[in-house]
Amino acid sequence: MDDYDTIYGSDRGPQITIKEADSRHAQIVLSNCDLAFANALRRIMLAEIPTIAIDIVEIQTNTSVIPDEFLCHRLGMVPLDSTNIDDKLIYTRDCFCDQYCERCSVTLSLHARCTGEDNVTVYARDLVIAEGAQLGSPVINDPEGQGTVICKLRKGQELRLKCIAKKGIAKEHAKWAPTAAVGFEYDPWNKLRHIDYWYEEDAKEEWPKSKYADWEEPPIEGEPFNYDAVPSRFYLDIESAGSLPPDEILQQGIKYLQEKLAAVIETFSNKNETGDGFGDGVRSPGQDYSMGGMGGGGAGYETPYQGGRTPFGGGGFGGATEYGGRLMGGHKCVAAVAMG
Amino acid sequence: MTVRHPGGSASFEILGEDHTLGNALRYIIMKNPEVEFCGYSIPHPSEEKMNIRIQIYPEYWEHTKPYDALMKGLDDLADLCDHITHAFKEARDNFVEPGDNSEQR
Ligand SMILES: [Zn+2]
Repeated sequence: MDDYDTIYGSDRGPQITIKEADSRHAQIVLSNCDLAFANALRRIMLAEIPTIAIDIVEIQTNTSVIPDEFLCHRLGMVPLDSTNIDDKLIYTRDCFCDQYCERCSVTLSLHARCTGEDNVTVYARDLVIAEGAQLGSPVINDPEGQGTVICKLRKGQELRLKCIAKKGIAKEHAKWAPTAAVGFEYDPWNKLRHIDYWYEEDAKEEWPKSKYADWEEPPIEGEPFNYDAVPSRFYLDIESAGSLPPDEILQQGIKYLQEKLAAVIETFSNKNETGDGFGDGVRSPGQDYSMGGMGGGGAGYETPYQGGRTPFGGGGFGGATEYGGRLMGGHKCVAAVAMG
Repeated sequence: MTVRHPGGSASFEILGEDHTLGNALRYIIMKNPEVEFCGYSIPHPSEEKMNIRIQIYPEYWEHTKPYDALMKGLDDLADLCDHITHAFKEARDNFVEPGDNSEQR
């Protein structure tokens, strides 16, 4: 923890308080934390935590009024139980099978027909999960125990289909999102003045108080503005879509942030023989893109200590360096370095 | 190509990463007292590329390369994650369900 103390001082670093929590949502306070990290956590919970969702639908019969594509989309959006998914299911792209198998998918079937005079509503509970599946059963939270509505059928109409649910992340498709929303708020009294409250006559009268206002001291009348202040307390409201409980979402969020870091560390640690401290990916800037990198590389840009150089070194377009060409590693997270 | 002070500063390109890692990493690298500047950029939203620029203060050029600052930043961020995991588990263990009559923390 030595390094850690030098970063955060003696104040023990970020703290977490759980304000309220149940099976569907959790309100937490991240204090003594910085905006960049809190936002990374928010982003990762929204988009990069794997869950299971219906990905392929084989339709045998669909005589309902809903077209096949529409129906498939609706099925994809049905939340499926994804607890401890990493121990139970792998991605199809990491699997040896051709299309899908029980190691990388869960099969659900649906058969519904309306025979009576009254219309029939097909619910998520009507999805029948394959025997022996460890996860992927439809999430049902309503008191009637029906789950979401999939489709309605009138007399004589029928649905017969097979759904293949796969593991994925919301970055690829929103149906894999474990969260319905992640509330993110800081500075409820707007002491930092990050917001200009629009008003008709009086902002104080017209804007409701933040629900987190009681957790922080209200501003003192006539208090001078502290232009050095930065946000340090963040109020997160993790609202689960049902596939994962909120505490697992948060823990998975941290886990996947660490996996990101591990992947980048792994790539960069792969040093080249010259031993210059750079990874294999060292290349000259401008070799495969023209000044397209950071800051656009305006000519004449100077750093205080290294006069007369562009951010990408003196080489400019296509300038070769002693570091040679660009090498790509095996991981998706390939790193490259531009010297200078 | 003239490199007057080889290794005093560098730009790294990380493929497949975005603001999630970029901003957090930028922040933590800037916390390093040997780092003069760190900034990140995603030049185009449809390219999965995140560039990160690190410049070291000249007095540290002898022993610290931008690469070292980058690796330290990644390590520090991993430590921060460990800490958050710990803090969360503690908070969860101490959490008292509302409606539970026992003393709220
Ligand atoms: Zn498979």
